[in-house]
Amino acid sequence: MSLFIQRMFDGLAEGSIYALLALALVVIFRSTGQLNFAQGEIGMLCAFCASTMTLAGFPIWLAMLISMAIGFVIAALVERVVVRPIEHRNPGAVIVALIGVFLGINQLSAMFWGVDARNLPSLFPTAADSFFRFPGTSAAIRWERVGIIGVLVVMLVLLYLLFNYTKIGLAMRAVANNQESSNLVGIRVGNILILGWGLAGAIGALAAMLLAPSAGLTGTLMLGPFLLASVAAVLGGLDSPVGAVVGGLLIGLLKAFLIGYVEFLSDMLFPVMLVVLLAVLLLRPAGLFGTEKVERV
Amino acid sequence: MSDPTNDPVAADDHVAVDVEAAPPAAAPSGLPKRIAQYGAAHWTGRVLVFALPLAYLFGRVFGMTGIWGDGWANSGQGLLADALIIAIAVMGVNLITGYTGQLSIGHAAFFAIGAFVALVLTDGRVTTPFFGADNVWDPGWTIPVAAALCFVVGCVVGLPALRLKGIYLALTTLVMVEAVRSTLKYEKFEGITGGATGIKGDKYTPPEYVFDFFGLKLPTGLDGRSDLNQWMIYLSLGLLLLIMLLVSGLMRSRIGRAMVATRDNELAAEVMGVNLAVIKTVVFGISGAITGVAGALFGLKLGIAEADIPLFGLFGAITFLVAMVVGGAAQNWGPLVGAVFYVFVNDLARSVGENPSESVLGFAFGEDTKLDGLGGVVFGIMLILFARFAPFGAVGSFRLARNRVVQVVPKASAGSLASKSDTGGDAG
Repeated sequence: MSLFIQRMFDGLAEGSIYALLALALVVIFRSTGQLNFAQGEIGMLCAFCASTMTLAGFPIWLAMLISMAIGFVIAALVERVVVRPIEHRNPGAVIVALIGVFLGINQLSAMFWGVDARNLPSLFPTAADSFFRFPGTSAAIRWERVGIIGVLVVMLVLLYLLFNYTKIGLAMRAVANNQESSNLVGIRVGNILILGWGLAGAIGALAAMLLAPSAGLTGTLMLGPFLLASVAAVLGGLDSPVGAVVGGLLIGLLKAFLIGYVEFLSDMLFPVMLVVLLAVLLLRPAGLFGTEKVERV
Repeated sequence: MSDPTNDPVAADDHVAVDVEAAPPAAAPSGLPKRIAQYGAAHWTGRVLVFALPLAYLFGRVFGMTGIWGDGWANSGQGLLADALIIAIAVMGVNLITGYTGQLSIGHAAFFAIGAFVALVLTDGRVTTPFFGADNVWDPGWTIPVAAALCFVVGCVVGLPALRLKGIYLALTTLVMVEAVRSTLKYEKFEGITGGATGIKGDKYTPPEYVFDFFGLKLPTGLDGRSDLNQWMIYLSLGLLLLIMLLVSGLMRSRIGRAMVATRDNELAAEVMGVNLAVIKTVVFGISGAITGVAGALFGLKLGIAEADIPLFGLFGAITFLVAMVVGGAAQNWGPLVGAVFYVFVNDLARSVGENPSESVLGFAFGEDTKLDGLGGVVFGIMLILFARFAPFGAVGSFRLARNRVVQVVPKASAGSLASKSDTGGDAG
């Protein structure tokens, strides 16, 4: 039982990171209708920045905040400089350009930081003997796992407040719903789009910086997580924030239990994911929580 | 002129006679019409446009170091062989992404499967009852097997293509790359695929002559020795030309038109009677098969198949995409141009990156640093720029630019057109 709880928390913590990334993907998909392929790499770049800052003596929380701001700026720039001009002329080519951004950022970080792994200190206590004792069992859960889940919850509350109780949030929902009408009622759609991308960039950066301490900060840090987060977003429905969170947690749990309980499949995570993805797309193409798209002819 | 009345057969006869009697004015000598149609300036320009890059490549590959700079010829032939192999792989990507408009970032999976098929069979790792002694296959025969297997895999993954659109297909293919990689590494299949360590096969011994036709011989090595890289150049060039011919034929066929219609407007295509599911699935299979051929060639050239080779993963998928976008989506010559460009620029970037002190980058980054990702950064920026400014790539842009300068004359000769209009509308 305690092993089960331990594995469940492992899965939930990893799932929280996927959920954050998937959430960032969904925020962008809702406003622009694009899958941001560079999401993971922007986060990785920010994690490298944070690592450099902690080496220069910044406390980790400050480095993380600054790095999230960097992530905001980079993602906003990507929207303004890359996505919008191309979407204007050739919407189908945006995804190619985003893959270009992915490749560029990935290799740029290799250029600046080399290919050796870096260190990023954790935000939470990581001493070998400090565990969270789950009440009623002997399960010992590392504080980092609990902390990551906590960050996800805080983030969700903040986003909920932003989207539901502020004017900017209302404008963002309006733009996601219908750009043309939003424009007509006086919302500056361009600025809102930039804001949405920036927000997603900051969330992605947070996800990368939560992952880096345990996974090791290298140029390939976000490749796997990005893929899993995309699967999570599709699983939950690409236009549903709730779906992204549920999908992310499900994928995290699936991974943890696969490794824990299904020995012969523990190295076969991606084939299993492919089957999951194909099954979702065949049976419920809009995802678990997504809205069916009705196209008018 | 005697009126041919209303009999269309008579009218046709009349036209035919007319053409023979008065050949088009543009053919003064015995030159074929298609050549004589354009002036000398056109052909000079055309030869220059093609000859200069070819001359550069030739010098680069066969090592005229004196003219083209030092240090160029080290692995030039290997690079050209790589470029041709990648060009074949990109032909496959171009078929599904360029012509049919379904973005695939998963063709590295077919590339890996092709390479593994070639090495598994030539290494005698599976029991095949009908072929070869000791199950060891002749390298050449592994290529069609790779194509067939990739076709099947492509169709199976492409089956859900009916539902998959745009980013969903892109994402599925991306996951497919990782899935194939984990499967190839899977320890339960170690007997066949070699697990995590992969397969190290025997070096492929190329034949002594490219062809030996009634005493007319072309030795594989230019200097008399048979050389694997040079043989791979001949082999992959031949296969590339064959595939280009097949693809250009396919694009003129009913299927090709259905593919383009699917890309341009799925709904309209469906209304016109295109079976979207069949077209997408079969084309995905064919394009996988083409990339599988390239994978087999790559495996044979390398003599190694290992799931961690970069071209077999996400990096390879992006490489093919870069080559396709730079060369030109939906252009038959695009993959070749893009692949040659990719391979040689990548090599240039690597040599500059390893030694930045010799270039302007040394000032920018400090002389001792190694710029590992220089090529990748360049290609990333190029993807963005091409997506923005040249959606049909280098070849497409060249066509557009040429069409502004050169007048397009219909292929039917001017003479027959003129005489047809002379005889009056009733003939047509």
